[in-house]
Amino acid sequence: MIFQLLFYLIVFPGLIFQFLSAWVFEWFDRKMIARFQRRVGPRWFQPLADWIKLLSKENILPKGSNEGVLTLLPIISLCSVVTAGIYVPVAGFNYFSFEGDLIVILFLLSVPTLAYYLAGIASIGIYSVLGGSRSILQFFSYEVPLLLALSGPAILAGSWSIQNITSSQIVKGPFIIFQPLGFILAVVGLIGKLNRDPLDIPKAKSEVIAGSLTEFTGIKLAFWHLVMNIQAVVGIFLLINLYLSWSISITPLLSILIFVIESLLMIVILSVISAIFSRIRIDQLADIGWRILVPLALLQLFVVILM
Amino acid sequence: MEKITIPIGPQHPLLKEPLSLLIDIMGENVLGGDLRLGYVHRGIEKLAQTRNYVQNVPLIERVCGICSHVHTTTYCYAVEKLLGIEIPARAQYIRALMCELERIHSHLLWLGILCKHIGLDTIFMHTWHNREMVLDIMEELSGGRVSHAANKIGGVRFDLDQDHGPMVVSILNKLRVEIDKLRDVVMYEPTIRARTQGVAPLSPEEIRQFGVVGPVARASGVDVDFRRDDPLPPYDQLKFSVVTNQAGDAWARTLVRVEEIEESMKICGQILQDLPDGSVEIRASRRVPAGQVVVRAEAPRGELIYFLRSDGSDSPARLKIRTPSLTALSILPKQLSEIQVADIPVVIAGVDLCIACADR
Repeated sequence: MIFQLLFYLIVFPGLIFQFLSAWVFEWFDRKMIARFQRRVGPRWFQPLADWIKLLSKENILPKGSNEGVLTLLPIISLCSVVTAGIYVPVAGFNYFSFEGDLIVILFLLSVPTLAYYLAGIASIGIYSVLGGSRSILQFFSYEVPLLLALSGPAILAGSWSIQNITSSQIVKGPFIIFQPLGFILAVVGLIGKLNRDPLDIPKAKSEVIAGSLTEFTGIKLAFWHLVMNIQAVVGIFLLINLYLSWSISITPLLSILIFVIESLLMIVILSVISAIFSRIRIDQLADIGWRILVPLALLQLFVVILM
Repeated sequence: MEKITIPIGPQHPLLKEPLSLLIDIMGENVLGGDLRLGYVHRGIEKLAQTRNYVQNVPLIERVCGICSHVHTTTYCYAVEKLLGIEIPARAQYIRALMCELERIHSHLLWLGILCKHIGLDTIFMHTWHNREMVLDIMEELSGGRVSHAANKIGGVRFDLDQDHGPMVVSILNKLRVEIDKLRDVVMYEPTIRARTQGVAPLSPEEIRQFGVVGPVARASGVDVDFRRDDPLPPYDQLKFSVVTNQAGDAWARTLVRVEEIEESMKICGQILQDLPDGSVEIRASRRVPAGQVVVRAEAPRGELIYFLRSDGSDSPARLKIRTPSLTALSILPKQLSEIQVADIPVVIAGVDLCIACADR
């Protein structure tokens, strides 16, 4: 029993599985974007090689910054995203389901954003502070429509447990058919959460160097990168569970295959969006977030409640 | 909210060449900026006085890495004017051809950098890919991708054979298809418009007050182009229109440059069609008679002025280079106010700085 639990926590769907899927995500994403940009793109082991190289780099911190806080923040973020990942079912395999786990996951996925903000403030540099304050501004713009959109499937299924939402889709059909608008809003929110192009405002290179992470080096930066990638993977898995569970998944092998294909498709969607749009300004994002996304999310919610 | 000063440069991802800007911001609003120059000052003007006229041609080519050819062209025309010689028409046409190719590649490079700064890496990669076509033509003609060493006093160093003309035309036709696509992207892509439209507009009065030249001036409705207003030899024979726009913002600057690329490709076609026969160089004396001369040319970034004084020896008594980037830099601090932090890259990219040109 204890070995089984350790297996769940460390191997699948815990740490090792998430590490591996994070690297697959990063490789596939980089490769796709490279192909859109007429480049060759990295080979399959490049993200892992980059990560190991970053681990070996010297650890430099600005004078006057609090080393304890800056070390703790990536660790806390990593813990929270990996914990969130354990609760998200992968291809129907789910070991820790309980009523209300969706809310817990959404909370855990917000922790890295707050840690990112604190990292910016705590590392003192001017660009870090600017990036940190931008990340919190962006948080207020995307988080509300994201939460409103993600509550759609829960209301339709009548449960806040992802397991129940997934099994409800096997009866009713995938929720993307009923809530296409909600799915689009959730993807936009996910892009905002992951700080990806076109919403990479907190880490815009030409404006604030690398945002909150400007002063980070070596092993701490490596862990931040890992956090971002695992967050992306967990977010993608979450959206697939909430919107894209197909009733044809009878055999486990078939359902794994469908899950993998859907994950890759989600990465393609994210890469296409980041390849074709330029970064928007923070005031434009706030404008879009509160004037367009929130009303649309409310409309979607209204439709779901009426259904 | 308190005022903080952010340093942009001398080393910053935004800048390709060293320049220092100290920008006062409050939250996301920019209050003002302070400019410091001189990080790539190489003393070229003084160095030119210690070397003779022939040795100066490769030196002048090193003023700028992007518009190297127009610098040597202007210098050579200045020396030839003092010598009182006129180079063969074929050489003049080849010089103009290289100038126009250089304008195309400079504008493409600029468009890529603007898109990179606003986070549109795809267009950056595509424009720089297309720019390679122009660089291929230049390498095929002169042997150099960026430093062409095409000019010498009294003519040009290479001649076109009968295969070169069709080759250039076919590559430019391929390029035209790509430029049309890029133009559609710039015209209709909503996020590019959102980022550039209405950013840091300049009125024609401000342009005249600061003496700004080139595409920045033309984007504000100031119709100035020294290929037409004070043409060097082949341009008085060529037909082209000067692209202007009335809006004056960063988007207008983008559109002006993209349309100038198309205009330059038309000029290239004309040059290849009308290319006269004959030799491409004449003998020039190494000693230059005493006197002084001013020659103006239209570089990719605007009016380029060369002042040359000779005391009758074989090296110049004074060489003064006034590059268009200097005027663009003068108006930069004015533009860096009443904008947002996110607009800083657009403003800096919009005026198309060449720090190496400005510092010399």
